[in-house]
Amino acid sequence: MAKSQQKARDFTVQYSEPVGILAAQSVGEPGTQMILRSFHFAGIESAIATSGLPRIVELVDAKKKPTTPLSTVYLEGAASKDIEQAEKIAKKINEVRMDSLIRRSVENFSKGTIKILLSKQELESEGLTPGQVSDKLAKLLKLDTSVEKNVITVKVHTKNLKDIRLTMVKISKAVINGIEGAGKAVVQTNPKTGEIYIVSAGSNIEGIITVSGIDKSRLYTNDVFAINRLFGIEAARNALARELQATLDEQKISVDFRHLLLIADAMTSTGTIKGVGRHGISGEKNSVFARAAYEETVKHLINAASFGETDHMRGVTENILVGKQIPIGTGSVKLAIKKEDMAKIKPK
Amino acid sequence: MVFMAKEETSRCYVYLNGKIIGFVENPVEYTKEIREARRKGQLSGEINIAYFKSLNAININTDKGRIRKPYIIVESGKSKLTPELSEKLKKKEIDFNYLLRNGIIEYLDAEEEENALVVFEHEDITPATTHMEVDVAAIFGFTINTSPFPEHNNIARHAMLANFTKQAEGMYSSNFNLRFDSRGYLLFYPQKPIATTTAYEKINIAHHPSGQNFVVALSTYYGYNMADAVVINKAAVQRGLGRSVFYKTYVDEERRYPGGQKDKFKIPPPTAEGYMGEHVYSKLSEDGTIEPETHADEGDALIGKVAPPRFLEENIGAGGLEEKMRDDSSVLKTGENGDIDSVIFTESTGATRIVKVRLRSLRVPEKGDKFASRHGQKGVVAMVTPEEDMPFTAEGIVPDLLLNPHSIPTRLTFGHLLEELAGKAGSVAGTTINGTAFAEKGSTRMEEYARMLETHGFDRNGEEVLYDGITGMPFKAKIFTGVVYYNRLYHMVSNKMQVRSRGKVQILTHQPTEGKARQGALRFGEMERDALIGYGASLLLKERLLDQSDKSSVLICKECGDIGYFDRIKRTAVCPICGNNSFSEVEISYAFKILLDEIKSLHIMPRIKLNV
Repeated sequence: MAKSQQKARDFTVQYSEPVGILAAQSVGEPGTQMILRSFHFAGIESAIATSGLPRIVELVDAKKKPTTPLSTVYLEGAASKDIEQAEKIAKKINEVRMDSLIRRSVENFSKGTIKILLSKQELESEGLTPGQVSDKLAKLLKLDTSVEKNVITVKVHTKNLKDIRLTMVKISKAVINGIEGAGKAVVQTNPKTGEIYIVSAGSNIEGIITVSGIDKSRLYTNDVFAINRLFGIEAARNALARELQATLDEQKISVDFRHLLLIADAMTSTGTIKGVGRHGISGEKNSVFARAAYEETVKHLINAASFGETDHMRGVTENILVGKQIPIGTGSVKLAIKKEDMAKIKPK
Repeated sequence: MVFMAKEETSRCYVYLNGKIIGFVENPVEYTKEIREARRKGQLSGEINIAYFKSLNAININTDKGRIRKPYIIVESGKSKLTPELSEKLKKKEIDFNYLLRNGIIEYLDAEEEENALVVFEHEDITPATTHMEVDVAAIFGFTINTSPFPEHNNIARHAMLANFTKQAEGMYSSNFNLRFDSRGYLLFYPQKPIATTTAYEKINIAHHPSGQNFVVALSTYYGYNMADAVVINKAAVQRGLGRSVFYKTYVDEERRYPGGQKDKFKIPPPTAEGYMGEHVYSKLSEDGTIEPETHADEGDALIGKVAPPRFLEENIGAGGLEEKMRDDSSVLKTGENGDIDSVIFTESTGATRIVKVRLRSLRVPEKGDKFASRHGQKGVVAMVTPEEDMPFTAEGIVPDLLLNPHSIPTRLTFGHLLEELAGKAGSVAGTTINGTAFAEKGSTRMEEYARMLETHGFDRNGEEVLYDGITGMPFKAKIFTGVVYYNRLYHMVSNKMQVRSRGKVQILTHQPTEGKARQGALRFGEMERDALIGYGASLLLKERLLDQSDKSSVLICKECGDIGYFDRIKRTAVCPICGNNSFSEVEISYAFKILLDEIKSLHIMPRIKLNV
């Protein structure tokens, strides 16, 4: 026991060990093997999530919105076993936009009306009636609507061509049912545990969390910014590392999770999520030379000059540039007392 | 039948060489009619037509640059190449062109192939079939068809084979002795392969082959043939195995310059600008060229030439131009050596004299030279083993080359094994073996070679008991031994190897030069730098990036932090900004000094503050 504890202690990070470089190399090297093989399993999931290198780049660059946002919504109590209840909750989440219901629409500029023919099929599959749609439109956009069979007539009290067009655009964008930004919600079953859950192709977890019947403690999305907004930076940091690992795992690349945590830490340490590039971590280094060595050399030099910046030569890049020993590893050891001062110290 | 520019979606577009020329109502019949006219000879055989139903378009192509391939025409389930015609063809009463003219064989391009249903053999023909391959092997190109048993190999290896075939040394031209190629490689004793193919014979490479039949044992050898290394037999090398000669031609011209000046071939006088010393020109004769059959080493001049000075100076004195001369001789570069094969003088179209010197250099296979079989299996010689240390069979046969058996399974080059067996069978029976793709089906081929080997008293699987040349003990396993045709590729260490400890530096950066031609160093790049940082080896990093690179000492003004200089006349250091004389001497990289200079050129004043 003591021996294994000692072993474990031997492998802890040493003082002045360049953990950042090690993390970068540990992710970067397997990353070169990823590029060419980015196939994924199609099928079960309603939307195929971005994977492989593009996903890593997306996470590391701190893109505000993922290319394929996905939310996983677990259900509370009986709903997690009952597919019908789950479907009901999914209906509440599933975002239905007006444009998906419209089969044809006619704008009458002389009368100032818009006639909308609704698709019967779409209405049926979403469980809506033309009356509901009409009411919702009237409520949402404060319009004068009337229904006749499948046709909704909207009276726009103006004959201004531009206004009619704008109204039509607003109508087609209106969210008739579900949560805005939640995307298409699909009920799925975990083949191992038999648990029923909902996957939606959107990342509006702020909206989804208001739906009753869901397990709020397990609500998850691949959009780290949404997690930051709802749960805070610590959760976002964990999500970031988790997403990175999930992407690497998918390609059967094993990287120690602590490297990924370090990257996530570096990206979130200021309280907001920052990319690693020029506009993120690298662009905010203390050293002028280190920044100038990375990108936009002249810009950094000129700005530094106009503010009269001083480079204290504490980082790696700037010390390599001038040819000093780097303050990492063996270079981090310094004399505490100068040789001449040693004489002044009297032994007791 | 063709309507001009009447747009109608129900009608089919007709494109001629990519340009729309009209519409047609019945595309299938239209296409058929054109094809029939072509087969009858009413239209040129170079016309190809393809109908794409999904695009509602007919593409007719008559332009140049299309790759086309011949097929035997099949109509209503019957090949047009009847047995009678085949018989006539065999008797040479008719030829290929006859078949072409009479609509029995036609050429299809890539687009028309989309409309064809092609079968390999007679038995496969169904009523829907439109064409039949001239030969099954025709699905491969010529390069691949020159290698035996290609159907047993991974297709990716064929791509490599195609590259290696281009790089093989052989007899590239039978008049090589009269030619002055800038580079020429010539193999001694080229042999034709034992395992050959129909295509190989037909294109007459057998008259000037580019390889030799090696006795190959599929065996490891004390770890010397790991990871695509091969061990070769020194005695075989001394008998001429893989031996080749490398010709290189150096050309120079007596150029004329504006103002009536011209170059002159001669031994440069010591007064010439850039004179390299007497020893350099010692092998030149009166006419300024080196004599044939003399040995030249690196640093020897091959062609002595003087040129007028590059910049006209104002005071061309009484001595005239003759004395102001610049040396412009052609000198052998580092690592180059050989015997002078031939020297010729000739004249350019501009009536200036040209001299061509051909250097001949013997290339005996050595460590680092590259060999490849015809299955995309390349290897680098790792050891030239003395014959007595090589494994041998009970008959006393010593292999020429030891190939690591690990090279085979992961690369899926089973053709290599088959060639080894066929080569062995062929050599014991004294025949060549036809290894054309799909020529014989499946295992009957192997059975035949096994039988040939058996009748000559060899193991039917091609295995032999080998004895270790060092211990004399037989190996525990029987070892697969056979004959494989190997190509020597022109990548040789003697043309590539380069050494540097200290050497030239670049003027601008004071960093070491790069590249073999400049005796350069190997770059310690960004990723190597990261590796050292990651390990924390700060002093090693400093040594690589500063001490062994562009270390320079500068004076930093204690007053203003600018870089000062040492005034040799006044014997003091001076600061150009404040005129101060107290300095600290600091070692920095020259690159940093340039950076500071460039920052200054941006009208930014960088100041260095030193601790202590």
